Amino acid sequence: MVKSIAQKEFISTLRDRRFVVLSVLVLLLLLAATVVGLYSSHTLQQEREVAQEEVNHQFHNSADRHPHRMAHYGSFAFRPKSTLSFLDFGLDSFTGASVFMEAHKQNSANFSQAQQSSSLIRFGEMTVAFVLQMLMPLLIIFLCFGAFTQEKETGTLKILLSQGVSLSQIAWAKIAGYSKTVALVVTPALLLAGGLLFGQNGLDLQPDTLWRLLLFMAFYLMYFFIFIVLSVVVSALHQRSSTSLVTLLGIWILCCVIIPKASANLGNTLYTTPTKAQMDADVHEEVAKGIDGHNSQDSRAEALKKDLLRKYGVDSVSQLLVNVDGIIMAVGEEQSTKVYREHFEKLTGTFQKQNRISELAAFLNPYLAVRHLSMGMAGSDFPHYLHFQNKAEEYRYHLAQGLNHIQATRLKYKDKTTRLSSDTWKEFKPFTYETPPVQWALRHHLLSLTALVLWLGLVCTVGMRVINKTQIV
Amino acid sequence: MKKFWILIKYEWLNFRADKGLLILVTLTLLAGLYGIYYGTTEVQRQQQNIAGLEKLTEHNVEELKAKYPEGTDAGDIGYYHSTFAVHHPDSWASLALGQRDVNPYYIKLRLLNLQSQLYDTENINPQKVLAGNFDLSFVLVYLFPLLIIGLCFNILSIEKEQGTLPLLLSQPISLPLIVGAKLTFRMLVVLGLGLLLSILAMIWGKVLPDGRVALWLGVVVLYCLFWFAVAFLVAALQKNSAFNAVTLLGVWLLLTIVIPALLNVYVSIKQPVPQALALTIQQREVVHGGWDKPKRETMDKFFALYPQWRDTTEIKERFVWRWYYAFHHLGDVAVQDLATQYKQTLLARHELVQKLNVLSVPVNVQGIFNAMAGSDLPSYVQFLQSATRYHDRLREFYYPFLFRQITFTHADFAREPRHSFASAPDMKSATAGLLKLLVSVGIVFGAGLLLFRWKTASVK
Repeated sequence: MVKSIAQKEFISTLRDRRFVVLSVLVLLLLLAATVVGLYSSHTLQQEREVAQEEVNHQFHNSADRHPHRMAHYGSFAFRPKSTLSFLDFGLDSFTGASVFMEAHKQNSANFSQAQQSSSLIRFGEMTVAFVLQMLMPLLIIFLCFGAFTQEKETGTLKILLSQGVSLSQIAWAKIAGYSKTVALVVTPALLLAGGLLFGQNGLDLQPDTLWRLLLFMAFYLMYFFIFIVLSVVVSALHQRSSTSLVTLLGIWILCCVIIPKASANLGNTLYTTPTKAQMDADVHEEVAKGIDGHNSQDSRAEALKKDLLRKYGVDSVSQLLVNVDGIIMAVGEEQSTKVYREHFEKLTGTFQKQNRISELAAFLNPYLAVRHLSMGMAGSDFPHYLHFQNKAEEYRYHLAQGLNHIQATRLKYKDKTTRLSSDTWKEFKPFTYETPPVQWALRHHLLSLTALVLWLGLVCTVGMRVINKTQIV
Repeated sequence: MKKFWILIKYEWLNFRADKGLLILVTLTLLAGLYGIYYGTTEVQRQQQNIAGLEKLTEHNVEELKAKYPEGTDAGDIGYYHSTFAVHHPDSWASLALGQRDVNPYYIKLRLLNLQSQLYDTENINPQKVLAGNFDLSFVLVYLFPLLIIGLCFNILSIEKEQGTLPLLLSQPISLPLIVGAKLTFRMLVVLGLGLLLSILAMIWGKVLPDGRVALWLGVVVLYCLFWFAVAFLVAALQKNSAFNAVTLLGVWLLLTIVIPALLNVYVSIKQPVPQALALTIQQREVVHGGWDKPKRETMDKFFALYPQWRDTTEIKERFVWRWYYAFHHLGDVAVQDLATQYKQTLLARHELVQKLNVLSVPVNVQGIFNAMAGSDLPSYVQFLQSATRYHDRLREFYYPFLFRQITFTHADFAREPRHSFASAPDMKSATAGLLKLLVSVGIVFGAGLLLFRWKTASVK
């Protein structure tokens, strides 16, 4: 019985011309989004790779320079696109692509796509994730709104029930039928995405990427299932198809349009972001005066010199085996970096608090849960961006300290003229960036994962209970 | 005419009794109020932040005064002194924040080469800017159509489905009158709400009361009329409520989400911006290469641009500031073409969007709002140009000190030029957009009328 109800739903859906047209449209959009996403992320990736290679080459073959001049010459980190980001651009269009890494100073990530676009970009981007997150639920609603109401309107529900099946059995049967239909729409696109990915990377495809892709798909399947069950439950609660449809469309608008924007804006209102100018000024102040405000930069250097003299039992710094300039520079870099990182952590803490509101709102709205998880798997979410920024900062610090070390060991005190050959610069490994593993990404979205699983559990248990209790008139 | 008012009166009674509709209108009202609150506080916050920059500059000057006694080398000051180029929001920005949250609204500048400073970004939470601004323009552009759809999707079909249409038509009233009265009533509600919110936002945001008041209200009215026209067109098909709801939402989805997203893809492929990374790499190469070039060569190049300093003393020292700032400036000169191209490409992108927005009325209307508020990409590009000119002025202020070797006194800080830029509304784009909007409304209403006539004729 259950099987034949499922089969009936599946077949009658396929016979519904309107639904077929809509599904084909969604499928076409999905395919277009896959191709376009792959093309544009490939272009960006190419652009950044070329730029990265160029600056690496420039660094290694740079003219003969004093090491501290080299520290100011610095290097760039261009953020590579993660392999799966073509499925979900996430924050990528709103985050900077290049960071200039130099001594003494932490620079912002500049040139985001959004800054190079007119406000059109704020309407949203055509990605696979966008189609899956926003359009698929609509298709599901359209598919399922009449699940029970139609049977009620035509009077077939009573006949069905008289065959000895329960309301929840009918519901499950219908859910099975609808799931099959949805799978029919989604599978080709997911296969294409997977195929293109393999085609591009061949056998080099990392197992980590594969895991990400599988989880990406799994989360969406969960999301679709939640929407199917939810629609069937809503349909069971209504007597007429039109009211069921309007209710579901209302839910969609609330979940996919209003709540995401409202929760992000609320976070922004609740937790104030300090300006970069203020932050830099605070860092400068703390570095100059010392954190306690007594220990100024110059007096710290003097104390350091005295310490070194006493330690090695010499009368003047020129007698030291190391160049004290380099040492002072290294200590200064250490100090300023420490202060900067404290402030940066505070800043990202504020951002995380702002984002937490949206993460909590996922318990009200499965759309937000899947959106965060999707970005997380695609490697285009906030944690991944932060990860890149931290790696660039780490590289910057090591580059500066490496050059300070060279200055301390290979140059004499007060020597400002000696130039080291470009072979010296070849000792430095260029900046490379690896996307962190999938477990790392998942760990940052435990809240969203919980929300999604909770939703799944709730619609299956509470939802079914509600269906069983509905009155059949 | 009397019958018309009777119909309106009963619509009102119906409306009052319908909880769903009341909730819908109340929700839109609340969303609108939040949008106004958000927009005004966001603009206030930016203004406060800009005001805070002045304190930072003062603080920086105090620090330098303490560090360098009277009559110091201006080169040291130019290196350690920072000032800001600021982009004040227009008073209308609180109604349409546009790109003001994405693009930096101030730039910290030192006397060093401009191109390494000009594109630094502000602390922004990318997740927040991805979600976008919940300002009044969002409520009007996105949510008002949904309100209109919610109010109108069953305008005719519900009478059929409840079986009240034959009853109504048995009275001496015609179908066009019924539809007309129902539409008019809903228009009064929606337009009342839209205008009320707009006026409230103007008062709350203390906007400059110029011609834009009329323009804004006109756009709001026309935009709402556009969506009523769409609802009318769909109602004229005379299908059932479910069909209407899905079709209307489909049109909304197409116009506010799918077409803009596709346009965005098209624009970014058609008009790529490759200059940014090239520019940033090249300027560093030239500036740092300056250290290794013979001083004579650098100075000759510089003097070709600034012949007035040619007669200054030949540089024999290992390091002097005027040489340092000269090669910094030459770094900017080397990428001048790229920088100009970069700005031109950005503007070309915007122009392309302006051309393509005929395909989506919401994109057009959002564009009008942003143009009126001066909060879109062109304003930012103008700000970049203004900041560039400011940097020129700063250099020209310092050059006499550097080249004539005049010492910098504490009093000179007050003589240093300051910068202020306020975005101006782009009335040309706004009025062009209004014209397009007018045409769209006309076309859709015309199509609706034709279809309605044809359908009702075929029913008879």
